[in-house]
Amino acid sequence: MCSIAGILFKNGKRPNLGMTTGEALTEMMDACRHRGPDSAGWALYEEPQEGLLRLRFFVRRGTGQSEDIARIREGLARHGAEIVEDEAVGCTYRVIVKYSGDIQQFSYAMEHAGQLVSIGSSLDLVKDVGQPYGLQQIYNIARFDGSHGIGHTRLATETGVHPETAHPFWATGFADVATVHNGQITNYWIMRRRLERRGMEFRTENDTELIAVYLAYQMSQGVLMEDALRSSLDDLDGTFSYLVSTKDSIGYAKDKLAAKPMVKYEDDDMIALASEEVALNRLFPGRSLDTTEPPPLTCGLWSRQGTA
Amino acid sequence: MVTIDLAEMQVRKLNEILRGFGATHQNAEIINPDAKHYIGVGLISPILVRVRGSAGYYCGGLCDGPHFKVDKNVSWGVGDNLLRGSIVVGGNASAIAGVGMRGGEIVVKGNIGSRAGQVMKKGTLCCAGNANFMAGYMMYGGRVIILGNSGERVGEDMMGGEIYVGGNVDSLGKDAMLVEPSSADIEDVMTFLDRYDLPFRGTFKKIICTGKTLRYGTAEPRLRKLPFYSFSSAGKQDYWNAKVEEDIRVKAHIGRYRIRGYGASRHLPHFSDIGFKKDMSGAGKDPGAISKVNLRTFIGDNHGGRPMDLSMPVMIAPMSYGALSAQMKIALGIASRMSGISENSGEGGMLSAERAEARQMIAQCLAGRLGWNVHDMKRADCVEIYISQGAKPGLGGQLMAEKLTREIAAVRGIPEGMDLRSPSRHPDILGGDDLIMKVEEFREATGWRVPISIKLGAGRVRDDIKIALKDGIDFMELDGMQGGTGAAGSEVAEYVGIPTIAGLQEALDGLEELDCAGGMPIVLMGGIKDGVDAAKAIALGATAVAFGSTMLIAAGCITCMQCSVGNCVIGAATQDPEHTKRFDIEKRALQIHRFLETVRWQLAAIVLEHGYTDIRQLSREDLVALTPEAAALTRLPFNQPRDS
Repeated sequence: MCSIAGILFKNGKRPNLGMTTGEALTEMMDACRHRGPDSAGWALYEEPQEGLLRLRFFVRRGTGQSEDIARIREGLARHGAEIVEDEAVGCTYRVIVKYSGDIQQFSYAMEHAGQLVSIGSSLDLVKDVGQPYGLQQIYNIARFDGSHGIGHTRLATETGVHPETAHPFWATGFADVATVHNGQITNYWIMRRRLERRGMEFRTENDTELIAVYLAYQMSQGVLMEDALRSSLDDLDGTFSYLVSTKDSIGYAKDKLAAKPMVKYEDDDMIALASEEVALNRLFPGRSLDTTEPPPLTCGLWSRQGTA
Repeated sequence: MVTIDLAEMQVRKLNEILRGFGATHQNAEIINPDAKHYIGVGLISPILVRVRGSAGYYCGGLCDGPHFKVDKNVSWGVGDNLLRGSIVVGGNASAIAGVGMRGGEIVVKGNIGSRAGQVMKKGTLCCAGNANFMAGYMMYGGRVIILGNSGERVGEDMMGGEIYVGGNVDSLGKDAMLVEPSSADIEDVMTFLDRYDLPFRGTFKKIICTGKTLRYGTAEPRLRKLPFYSFSSAGKQDYWNAKVEEDIRVKAHIGRYRIRGYGASRHLPHFSDIGFKKDMSGAGKDPGAISKVNLRTFIGDNHGGRPMDLSMPVMIAPMSYGALSAQMKIALGIASRMSGISENSGEGGMLSAERAEARQMIAQCLAGRLGWNVHDMKRADCVEIYISQGAKPGLGGQLMAEKLTREIAAVRGIPEGMDLRSPSRHPDILGGDDLIMKVEEFREATGWRVPISIKLGAGRVRDDIKIALKDGIDFMELDGMQGGTGAAGSEVAEYVGIPTIAGLQEALDGLEELDCAGGMPIVLMGGIKDGVDAAKAIALGATAVAFGSTMLIAAGCITCMQCSVGNCVIGAATQDPEHTKRFDIEKRALQIHRFLETVRWQLAAIVLEHGYTDIRQLSREDLVALTPEAAALTRLPFNQPRDS
């Protein structure tokens, strides 16, 4: 029970919103805090650098943190990943490494060393227990001013409130793909087992992770993201409005019952999507916006280099 | 016209201010609305409200009288349950526009989202653009006008009313059909469009309900049904017994499921399988027990509302005017006042005579929004969102045509003469995130004055109570499968759900898992039959109990369990004046009151015999399980009963 948010600036344009990309997402998330007061998260994309990978791990807070970090560093070293930059912040440990091997094998193997939140050449995924404004301070979200990102606030019900069950979810094993989701996938286990038989691994029992892995797996088989989104409309059962982000695009899909809301605002410079229009209004206070609601059983994709 | 800047204040404040202006007949204009939610909710004065921008969820919801003009868009549920007045939206409306409308007019100049006009009963919902799927879903009456295309499955499951489509009818819903509109119909529609400056130069197609699914086919044969309980105690082990035979024979005759009243009637683990550790044979010896024990219970102030104030931890369970006669409802109201506890409207609206008699009354909101309106909310002491009930968790209410009289149909806002089946799901509550929005809307409508509770049938209680807690519910009425109903499919009543004691334990476990033990008061019901059961329930962890079937039996019910037929011989569960004229309201009220006083007596006696002075001192430590099943369900220590 949650809210989703996403923003993408087209063709390198930057309208004058008076805030960075990170801050824009935080504002949208804060507007929907009533839908998700327990935890929040962002998937943000920096400019990639040749040969470098960004990783973020969950580590324990307080005592135990240094032990966790030591294990991670040791694991990285064992796999030939050379640390270029690192930082412990909040409940996470962030590293930038020089690594050029197989990312999927690397990420599966790193599970023994630490709890991976995300891997990507651009992707940095931050999520934690707490509310958007507070977490923005801790994780310095405001410094993100890249071209796009997605965000989420969560109301934890069935599972407890932990950072691991917050969104966004990184597509376990695939670089740079993340999803946020409002709804419930009712054929989760069937879909998961199918992917597990194809060698995919999952780290949680959260259906949002499934969506991410499902999409990323298709792309790894050469399917275009637009087509993966479209086939998800048939393959996934349940209620969903979800957003997916990659290195250079964001996309959405909406279930056939339109049970979970989604609203979008688009102009020549940008596209912003959110669960409720009140979130979009945070970007343009005092203006009444020309928004549209994606119809049920539709999907869409926008990339940095213009519309898909 | 006064200007209010929403950038400067919370919506809660805005609505208080609007009510103030409404009382002094001043129109208002709202600037910087920025798509915020609940603008104008609960307004009952006929003023003009201008929204200079977009509004969020439930704009103009639960109103009676005002005229809204929204410059741009609205989100979900615009004009929820509108009684009178109008709302004109300059832009688009999101899903479920005009949900549960009971009058007035809503005009959306742009497009509307899916399920527009769901469960509406009266009034006109007009869309100048295109609609989306299931426009007019489950509508009971009223009129939907779509100038553009209808969307898929228009008129799905409609039970009354009319839909006019100016563009394409993309596909017809289940039980909807196209008919030729009369010239009077068209003239009416064109007059309406004229009034709102909506030019239209095409032809209209008219859609109404086919009426094929409004009534059950064959009635059950009238026979003296065999009760389940004769076959379910130990000793009667025969499989193909007379009850099974009866069931099969009747179903061979009617070709569908059977329907009856009450809840699960076979033997299930229950309070009789739980005992007190301490020897209670001395309980009741002290005639002054009631004066020595504190039983007074407050429930529902978790979020600042004025709590229910009960002289003992007992409520009357929700039972509808419809399932029960007006006379029975009034008797319940009187008895609740005499015993210092609360009454509950149940489904289908609040009977004024009952409201006048009861000192505290809970107004219950169900999925069909039958009889639901803002005025009943404002004169209730608590507003309750019904998700399900123990007799039929997952299903909605049922009222057979024999009992759907003209009066009841009028109160509920629906056409008479159908076998009414209420929807099983609220049109605007499809998850925990929607429930939060609904709770907030109800708080806005009642000025944040009263508790908002939830009625839940015991199913997946452990999951559900967590959602209720997170969503700001003040207390939960939890109903086990022994809980009764006026009409349910007999297999559902007998086999769907979990026993009352299991439901309570799941609820307590769920709260424990969120580290919130005691965070959500639970009013337990479902086959509670006396003060001893009540004491055990409270010892297990319930805050209070509610009596339903027991109240009917106290008033004279003979437990024939055929409430659905409408032939209740004591005049309690029928609308037939031949029977209801026999119901002596004062006499029956006194009977119910006397029974409730025995409950008070038993509670006090048990508390005192334990050496306590307050009912809340009873705990699990005072209980044992007398059967292995009860021990497994409640995790109480298992003690074989002594010879009693």
